[in-house]
Amino acid sequence: MPDCQPCTLQTQTLLVQTGAAVRLKVKRRLSQLFMLAVLGQWAFYGIFRCPFLVPYVSCQNCPVITCHGRIVSMFWGFWLLIPLSVVFFGRAFCGWACPGGLINQMLGMIAPCKLRVRNFFTRLAPSGKYLGLALAFAAYYLLGQPRADVPIRIGEFFQSVLLTFEHASMNWLIRTFLVIALVVLGLLAANFWCRFACPTGGLLELVKRITLFKFYKTSACNDCNQCLAVCEMGTRPDEKNCTNCGDCQGICPSNAIIFGHKK
Amino acid sequence: MDNNPQSHARRTFLKSAVVATLGAALPAGVAQASSFSASSLQLWSCGGLAEAFIPANDLYEKNNGVKIRYTGAFAAALGKSLLGSATTEIFGGRVLDLAKKLRSTGKMLYFKPLCFTSYVMITPPGNPAGIEKIADMAKPGVRVVLAPEASPPGGQAVQNLLKKAGILHPVTKNCVSAGSCVQRTMDDIVSGRGDVSIVELRLTRMAAFSGKTTILAIPEEFFPPPPLTFTIGVMKDAKDRRLADHYLQFITSEEGQSFFAAAGFIPAISDKGKELIERLGVKDA
Repeated sequence: MPDCQPCTLQTQTLLVQTGAAVRLKVKRRLSQLFMLAVLGQWAFYGIFRCPFLVPYVSCQNCPVITCHGRIVSMFWGFWLLIPLSVVFFGRAFCGWACPGGLINQMLGMIAPCKLRVRNFFTRLAPSGKYLGLALAFAAYYLLGQPRADVPIRIGEFFQSVLLTFEHASMNWLIRTFLVIALVVLGLLAANFWCRFACPTGGLLELVKRITLFKFYKTSACNDCNQCLAVCEMGTRPDEKNCTNCGDCQGICPSNAIIFGHKK
Repeated sequence: MDNNPQSHARRTFLKSAVVATLGAALPAGVAQASSFSASSLQLWSCGGLAEAFIPANDLYEKNNGVKIRYTGAFAAALGKSLLGSATTEIFGGRVLDLAKKLRSTGKMLYFKPLCFTSYVMITPPGNPAGIEKIADMAKPGVRVVLAPEASPPGGQAVQNLLKKAGILHPVTKNCVSAGSCVQRTMDDIVSGRGDVSIVELRLTRMAAFSGKTTILAIPEEFFPPPPLTFTIGVMKDAKDRRLADHYLQFITSEEGQSFFAAAGFIPAISDKGKELIERLGVKDA
């Protein structure tokens, strides 16, 4: 095996940057795991046991006693944290805190279609989030956020889920199977739910332009798309679906990706 | 095998002595649990009873070392599941007919009266609209909150009550909010979005609403009978019949019944409860 050539300054810089990116990714995974512990049960209840059509927004008068959502919404002012996170870090909630995001990213690891290319579909499909958001608003405001399922107020984990499905209305079943189907699609196309369907992601996407701090590309960017190739959301810094996850940090050969306040 | 009755008696004595010695040495709950063959008991009940069952079950677990696996949900839905292929060991349901149906199909071994519910009018604190009697709900300009789409007994029962009072039509005209959830009804009244509503007394005892409304009585003659009654019964699928019987004994005792009184129900063992048992015919024939 030939001896290694002395590293050039550029290679050394790249190695340092890659090390920083790995450290950031470890921090992100730890943050996601912590938030999974805090919000995981609530996320599970929202999909499978929330009796309302739009989960997570009617916790204050939900009859399901054992759901963490009641505690979180009433006593922690949790919903204030998401707008705050948008003000400071854009869609960082999706990349750093959302339990659903973590699950989707795990599924995405084994998905054969990463969709990390720029084509007609990947440009158009992210608008699906806005359709999801519109449907959620319609269910809440036009239908009056109906209770569409018999609430299992307290009960054993899996048995309660089975009972919930057994006694749900058609509206609830359609909503729930649609969500499950879109999440399962993530086994085929990486992060399908987060990129193309999530109403919360759609809402955060709409308001993320106000954010103070973000990853963004400088004028040194030459469109080589190496950042796109490593992005779980199939995007580039400061573009549609960027969640400020930081995975692209250190990958840019032109050193054109930086984090901070974009003037 | 040794069939000598003397040896058998000696073995029994020795077993009893060991059990008694262990029993004295162990905490009360553990000792009690060792006398049952099952370490847990599955209980299903009408969701409305959850606020009473949760602390009652905690006490039972503490005293007996037996885990109560509790599910509380809309009784008719649970009943439908039980009449199908679902199983549980104890069922505390609303509506006497459901208990009778479970008995007649052989799914339930026996039942006892558990408690009764009652209906009240609620207004925002201080009763700003000056509601005094049920007829006042029909007065023009009174903002009524109802939940006709709520799962029984929240919706239909209140409609029947208003019908019995002869004011369903004018009250419906006064309705400013017709929802699908009785807990939202409470929210609407607490926040002053409505002047008056009719709910079960139990709702006013929930932690989220306790002390936040003014409560006015409704004459009993207007109450619709079917949803008033709660029974509790042992199912044929009880793994340890002695444990199931023991739990039922506890929940219908003075100690167990106190939790139902605290949650806004009329305990079956109270004088009022006994009267309702006779009047509504809550008997396991």
